[in-house]
Amino acid sequence: MSGPGTQPAPGTGSTPNLDYVVAHLTDHLAAGPLGELGVRIEIRGEAILLTGTVPSAQCRDDILRTARAELLGHPVHCDIVVADNATPDHAEEVE
Amino acid sequence: MIRIAAVGDIHMGPESQGVLRPSFETLHESADVLLLAGDLTRHGTPEEAQVVAREIKDLAVPVVAVLGNHDHHADCAEEVTAVLQDAGARVLEGQATVVDNGRARIGVAGTKGFGGGFVGRCAGEFGEPVMKEFVRYSRHRADTLRASLEELREQDCDVRVALTHFSPVPDTLAGEPPEIYPFLGSYLLAEAIDTAGADLAVHGHAHLGTEHGMTSGGVKVRNVAQPVIGRAFHVYHLAG
Repeated sequence: MSGPGTQPAPGTGSTPNLDYVVAHLTDHLAAGPLGELGVRIEIRGEAILLTGTVPSAQCRDDILRTARAELLGHPVHCDIVVADNATPDHAEEVE
Repeated sequence: MIRIAAVGDIHMGPESQGVLRPSFETLHESADVLLLAGDLTRHGTPEEAQVVAREIKDLAVPVVAVLGNHDHHADCAEEVTAVLQDAGARVLEGQATVVDNGRARIGVAGTKGFGGGFVGRCAGEFGEPVMKEFVRYSRHRADTLRASLEELREQDCDVRVALTHFSPVPDTLAGEPPEIYPFLGSYLLAEAIDTAGADLAVHGHAHLGTEHGMTSGGVKVRNVAQPVIGRAFHVYHLAG
């Protein structure tokens, strides 16, 4: 039980828990205008790592901008790659 | 030999117009048909479908497609389907089609499929209405896949291919977090494939997964999500 002069109850800190911030960012990327479900967002110490493959450089830039806006105060490392649209150089023989 | 080209999860939007067309224009050199395994758009709008339509219109090989969950997001799946059909694609949902190029008859049975999970780790038709509906929806998609493959068995096909967006097996999900497997596929699809028989099963959806898998019945499964195959498409050679 908490009261005047005691420590705040667990969970009542003023700083949002990073876990939840990352979860909300994941939701926003999926359900928001980006419609992006293919990016993995991992907590690495105080930093955040974004990985995955997206269809365009613009998409990658939009994701990074959104992540940095929602993760203020945390370094955001981006290792998102753009899909390779090259013609394949071989086929698989399916026996 | 029958040559199947396939890709899924191309997630096209206005900014990606034209990026696949140069590779698709080479398809006549390497493939007899192009299969699109869903998530062709980012949000499932008719405008995004028009982008896809311009990538595939008047290609030298037939195009057979299923939609994915992204293609349903804007609740315009019928319009998206119509746009792709206008561009010449055969868009399947619980249906079958035969591509006959004069040398071979390639049967394709297609459905988006749905989730639910895999044997021992799957959702059951129990409890709240929304949970029961989830499982029933997945079961219905699988039932139509089985019926479509059985229909093709009567049509003198040289090969039969099952085309889905969601995965029929966990093998091709390796690399994804195991906790989300129930949202990535369902064993019901594999059971349908093994019951009706197929020469190959192709799916997308799992961007972090792996390309190769197999059903319990021995049907080879390929995850052709573009982030997995790392190319505009992959080509599979089947003995006809």
